[in-house]
Amino acid sequence: MMNQIRSGDAMLTDWREAAGRFEATVGAAVLGQARAIRLLTIALFARGHVLLEGDVGVGKTTLLRAVARAVGGAYARVEGTVDMMPTDLVYHTYLAEDGRPRVEPGPVLRRSEDLSIFFFNEINRARPQVHALLLRLMAERTLTAFNREYRFPNLQVFADRNRVEREETFELPAAARDRFLMEIGLEAPRDAEVRRALIFDPRFHDTDALIAGLDGGVLDHAALPGIAAAIQHGIQASPAIEAYVIGLWEALVRPGAAGIRLPGLDMEALVQGGASPRGVAFLVRAARVRAWLEGRDWMVPEDVRAVFPEVMAHRVFLEPVYELRRAAIMPDLCRAVFETVAAP
Amino acid sequence: MRIRFLALLLAGLVLSGPAGAQVRSVEVRTPRPFGYFLGDLVQAEIDLVVEPGFRLQAASLPKPGALTYWLDLRDLDATASVHGDAQRLRLGLTYQTFYAALDARALEIPGFSVTFVSESDHGATTVKAEVPAWSFNVSPLREVQPPRRDDPRDYMRPDGQVGPGDPRPLLLGAAGSASLALLALAGLARDRTWWPFRARRGRPFGRAARRIRVLERRPDPVLHYRDALLALHHALDTAGERRLLADDLGDFLTTHPVYADEGPDLARFFEASRRTFFGPGPEAGLGVLGPADLAALARRLARAERTA
Repeated sequence: MMNQIRSGDAMLTDWREAAGRFEATVGAAVLGQARAIRLLTIALFARGHVLLEGDVGVGKTTLLRAVARAVGGAYARVEGTVDMMPTDLVYHTYLAEDGRPRVEPGPVLRRSEDLSIFFFNEINRARPQVHALLLRLMAERTLTAFNREYRFPNLQVFADRNRVEREETFELPAAARDRFLMEIGLEAPRDAEVRRALIFDPRFHDTDALIAGLDGGVLDHAALPGIAAAIQHGIQASPAIEAYVIGLWEALVRPGAAGIRLPGLDMEALVQGGASPRGVAFLVRAARVRAWLEGRDWMVPEDVRAVFPEVMAHRVFLEPVYELRRAAIMPDLCRAVFETVAAP
Repeated sequence: MRIRFLALLLAGLVLSGPAGAQVRSVEVRTPRPFGYFLGDLVQAEIDLVVEPGFRLQAASLPKPGALTYWLDLRDLDATASVHGDAQRLRLGLTYQTFYAALDARALEIPGFSVTFVSESDHGATTVKAEVPAWSFNVSPLREVQPPRRDDPRDYMRPDGQVGPGDPRPLLLGAAGSASLALLALAGLARDRTWWPFRARRGRPFGRAARRIRVLERRPDPVLHYRDALLALHHALDTAGERRLLADDLGDFLTTHPVYADEGPDLARFFEASRRTFFGPGPEAGLGVLGPADLAALARRLARAERTA
C-alpha cells in the first residue's frame, strides 16, 4: 500500500541500489565524510552544481576526484589563478612543432558533449570574467566557441574554494552562487579511528593510486539526466509538505515576523534578501532525491531538513553588519527556522 | 562749664634749679575724680605762672588726638594773661575716655611739659614747666557677672517645650512606600518569573489526551484522525520545546526518559503521521495506528507526564 507499484518503479529501485554502490565506492576513498558524500549523491541525482568549501587538506579535491571516477564519463579539471582568462578555459593556444601558432579546444571543449564533470579548483582565485563564463556554462550548459555552440547535456560543475585565504581572491557574484545547488562545508573528520587511518594508512597518502583503485563508472553518467527527471516526477509532494516548505521559506526571509529570536541579533534587520524562488525549487528538487534515496516515493519534512542548510544558506543575503559573522549566524538561523515552523 | 575745684596741686615744690626760679607755680584743677563711664568727657584746667619776659612756645603744647589706646585729647585752649608782676598761662584741656571698664578702677592721665622762651640781647632762655600726671576713677556701665546661683545647673537655660508629634502622616507614608515596594517586587518577580509567577510546566500531553477523547466521541473518528494526530504533534512539540520530526524521536526520548517506555508506539505514531500528512493519506496512517490506539497512547503519555 505504501509503495504503489508503477511502471518505472523497478528502474528507480535499481538506480537506488546503484546510488548505494556509488556512495560505498566514494566512501572507501574518503573516510569520515558520510554526510558530504550523501549530499554529493543527492546533487548528482538532482543534476545540480556543487561548491565545496573547507580548510586546506581536508580532502575536497580527493572527494571530487573520487566522485568523478565513480560517475565515469569525461572529466576536466582546471585550477583557478589570478591571471586566468575565460579564453584559457575554452581555447588552448600553443606553437606547434612546425613553428606555427595553433588554436585548439581548451579544457572545457576538449571532451565536448561527453563532458560529465567539470572540476574547478580554487574557484575564488579566478577573476570575475571567468566567473561570468562559468555562469553561462552552469545555467545553460552551453558555450559558444569556434563559431558554433557546444552543448554539455550531462555537465555538472564541481568547484571548491578555500575559505581561509582572502588575499588575491575574488568573491563569487551572487548570481553565480545562486546557480550552485549546494555549498557543502567540509570539515576534517572528528572520529579518532578515522583520523588515525587517514594519518597512518599509506593507502591515503598517494591520492592518484587511491583514486585509480576505485571502481570506475559505478553509475552510467549518460543515463543520469533521465533518471533524475524520473525521480522528480516519481516522488510525490503532499499539500502538507508544500505548505511546510513555503512556511520555511517565509521564516528564513523574515525571521522576525516568524517569531524567531536569536541572542545578540536584530531579527528585523538581519536578512536583506535572497533565498530566490530558484533556490527553493532547488531545495525541493534535492529533497525529492533524498526521499528517493531513503526508499520513499513521497517527501517528508526530514528530507527538506537534511538538505536545507547546504541548499539555502548561501542564497540568503544578510545585512552587511552581520555578513562577516555569516558562518556563525546561518547554522543557528537554519536550526531556529526548523524549530519554529510547524511540520504537519 | 562750671568746674568744681576739688584738688589743688602745687608743683612748684618739686621744681628745683633755675627752672624752679622761673616757673613760679603749676596748678592742676580737675573735676570730681570718680564716676566716669565709657565715652565721658573729662575737663581739666591748668594754671602756669612764670617770670615776666617768658612767653609760651606753642609747639610744646600737647596736640589734640589720640594719646593712648583709651584716651583722646579732644580740645585744648590756651589763654595768656598778666598775673600781678608775672605771666600766667591757663590751659583748658578736654579729654575723652574710651576705657571699657569691667570694674571700678583708677586711670592715670599722663603728665606733659610746656616750654616757655625768654629772648634777650644775650640769647634765648627756655624753661620747661612740668605738668604732673593725675588720675581719676572709671566705673563699668553695667554689672558684668551674672547673679550668683547655688546650683550651677541653674545657669543653663531651661529646655524648650516640645509638644507630642502626630505620627499618622509618617505611618501612612511608610505604609504607602511599603506597598509600592511590594508592588515593584511583584513586577520584578513577574518579569524574572520568580516564585508565584514561575510558569508551571504545562501538561501538553494531558491536554492532547482530552482533545483526542473529544474527537473520538464524534460520530466518525476517521474523519477527525488528522486533528487527533495534530493534537499529539503539538503536545510533542511543546514537551520537546521545538518542532519534533520523526527522526528526532531518539533525541527526544534520551532527553525525556519518562516517555522512553512509549518509544515503539511513538515511532508508530510518527510513521502513521508521515503517511497521513505526507504519504498516501489517512487510510495508510490508520493501518499503522488506529484511532483507539492513538487515544490509548495519548492517555499513557499523559500518565507518564504526571509522574514527571
